[in-house]
Amino acid sequence: MNLALIILVDGISYAGWLFLVGIGLTLVFGVLRLVNIAHGGFYAIGAYVAAYAIGAAASYGLGAGPQLLLAFAGAVVVGGLIGFLVERTVLVRLYDHPEVLVLFATYALFLILEDVTKLVWGGASLYAFQPRNAFGTVAIGSLSYPVYDVATVVIAVLVALGTWFVLNRTRTGRCVTAVVHDREMSAAMGVNVSAIMTGTFVVGSMLGALAGAVTAPKIAVSPGIGVEVIVLAFAVVVIGGLGSIGGAVVGALVVGLARAFATHLFPDLAVFAVYAVMAVVLAIRPYGLFARPVARKI
Amino acid sequence: MRHLDPTILVVVLGAAALSFAQPHMPGWVVYLLQIAIAASLPALGCMILLRSGLLSFGQGLYYFIGAYGVALVHAHLGISDAFLGILAGAAASILVAGLVGFFIARYRGIFFAMLTLAISMVVYGMAVKMDLFGRSDGLNVPRLSYLGFTPSRAWAQTSLFVFCVWVWAVFGIATHLYLRSRFGKLLTAIEDNETRVEYLGWSVRHAVHINTIVAAVLGSAGGALAAASARYADPSLAYWTTSGEFVFIVLIAGQANVLAPLFGSVFLETLRTYAAAFFPDEWQLVLGAVMLAIILFLPKGLGHLFALAGRALRPRRATAAPIEEDRT
Repeated sequence: MNLALIILVDGISYAGWLFLVGIGLTLVFGVLRLVNIAHGGFYAIGAYVAAYAIGAAASYGLGAGPQLLLAFAGAVVVGGLIGFLVERTVLVRLYDHPEVLVLFATYALFLILEDVTKLVWGGASLYAFQPRNAFGTVAIGSLSYPVYDVATVVIAVLVALGTWFVLNRTRTGRCVTAVVHDREMSAAMGVNVSAIMTGTFVVGSMLGALAGAVTAPKIAVSPGIGVEVIVLAFAVVVIGGLGSIGGAVVGALVVGLARAFATHLFPDLAVFAVYAVMAVVLAIRPYGLFARPVARKI
Repeated sequence: MRHLDPTILVVVLGAAALSFAQPHMPGWVVYLLQIAIAASLPALGCMILLRSGLLSFGQGLYYFIGAYGVALVHAHLGISDAFLGILAGAAASILVAGLVGFFIARYRGIFFAMLTLAISMVVYGMAVKMDLFGRSDGLNVPRLSYLGFTPSRAWAQTSLFVFCVWVWAVFGIATHLYLRSRFGKLLTAIEDNETRVEYLGWSVRHAVHINTIVAAVLGSAGGALAAASARYADPSLAYWTTSGEFVFIVLIAGQANVLAPLFGSVFLETLRTYAAAFFPDEWQLVLGAVMLAIILFLPKGLGHLFALAGRALRPRRATAAPIEEDRT
């Protein structure tokens, strides 16, 4: 019984993190129709900015709360700025290229971003555990769990609700949905498609950086953290169906629980749990759980 | 008599020239060429998959299998024969690709790319944890013998180089004939329009499956050469960034001819050597920037430079030339 609780709590906490990592990727895919490998780069930048901000804030004697606020705000702003630059200078020239080429351009961007973070912050690891430790633990049933990890889930839920609200209840969100369905038709109806695309990419970069910032207090921020994330995020997003927000929620939950289940019952298999789930889902539903198959053209 | 195919002629003459030039080349050029030759074979595999519009981010898996074919045959059977090592890797990758193919032949586009990536990452994850593969340290590869002939220490480098060159020549010519065959033409047709191919009575799924296996064999041959050159095999060969390099090679060179990946590979290795020498910590940045520049300004690959130069040099005709169709 206790084990079941541990698996459930761990799984949900991991799912919250996975959702944060995947949401930007799926949003960008939905609107821009590109798999953004550079997402891992934004994640790493967010983590570095956050770790740096936490350190800086701590040296000014600020408490854990302001430290985190500064870290998140800094990461989102930096991520958004870099995202804007990348979209305006590189991606905008590539929208009419084959998707393979665009995929590779984002891979090149990822390599560049990774080395830039290394140039700025050096090759050594940054540690920013203070805020997470400062919040202490909370009792869930018979477990004592870090408050910070619970807060991660809350942030993930807030981000999910926020995205849902913007997409379904605001004028901008309706324009975005229109662009997802048919770019040309929306342009004909007076939607500023290129602005929507830039905006979505900036928001996607911000979300990637936010995911990194949220993770920073939990890990040693070091070169190479972006690589693992991009593969995981893709697995999550593809299970739900590329471009579907609800799909990302379900994908995160499925992967999170599967991984927690494997970690606690079959520790050796934990690495494959994610890929095994992805393979099974794709074998049954080739386009993911919530995506419609594309009609074949003759 | 049918006239000789220029590609085959170039490959054979080039291989012969390189074989005789080896003693006169500095050691680092020999090593660079060997690594470039090894990396160009999985890239060639990527190229034939791209002919049917499929981007594989998992060629590293077969590179890994080929490398471990040589290493494991030595570690467990005590055989250090180069030909047997390549055959072992090729047999294993035919088996793996045959099984994997049933699953991935249904997918296209990004799904194909990411599934191949996921599969190779699973193997990487297993390999770093298994003693069989030497965990993350990898395994050493012995000095190779060739059909019972063991070159002396002084000749080992030369014989390995000549072996690499001719293995490439054999696989390059075989791939060229494969692409020229009816089946090879079918691959391009699949990229154009799958539904029409099926109306013609071919099974797209079988074609993709077979093509995956052929690409896997090419990848494993490259891996065997890489392991023999570097004298070790480690799990990072199956990491997705290794596979990314192979796609990059095809991307910079274009897909016009089987020789293209070889040029791309030499270009990449040279770039990497110089970038690593001048910017030891930022060579990824240089690589990424060059990649991006090529994608932005030469989306058809470096090979397109030749086409552009040819067009500029060709004498202008009196009448206006028709504008070439620019397919994007």
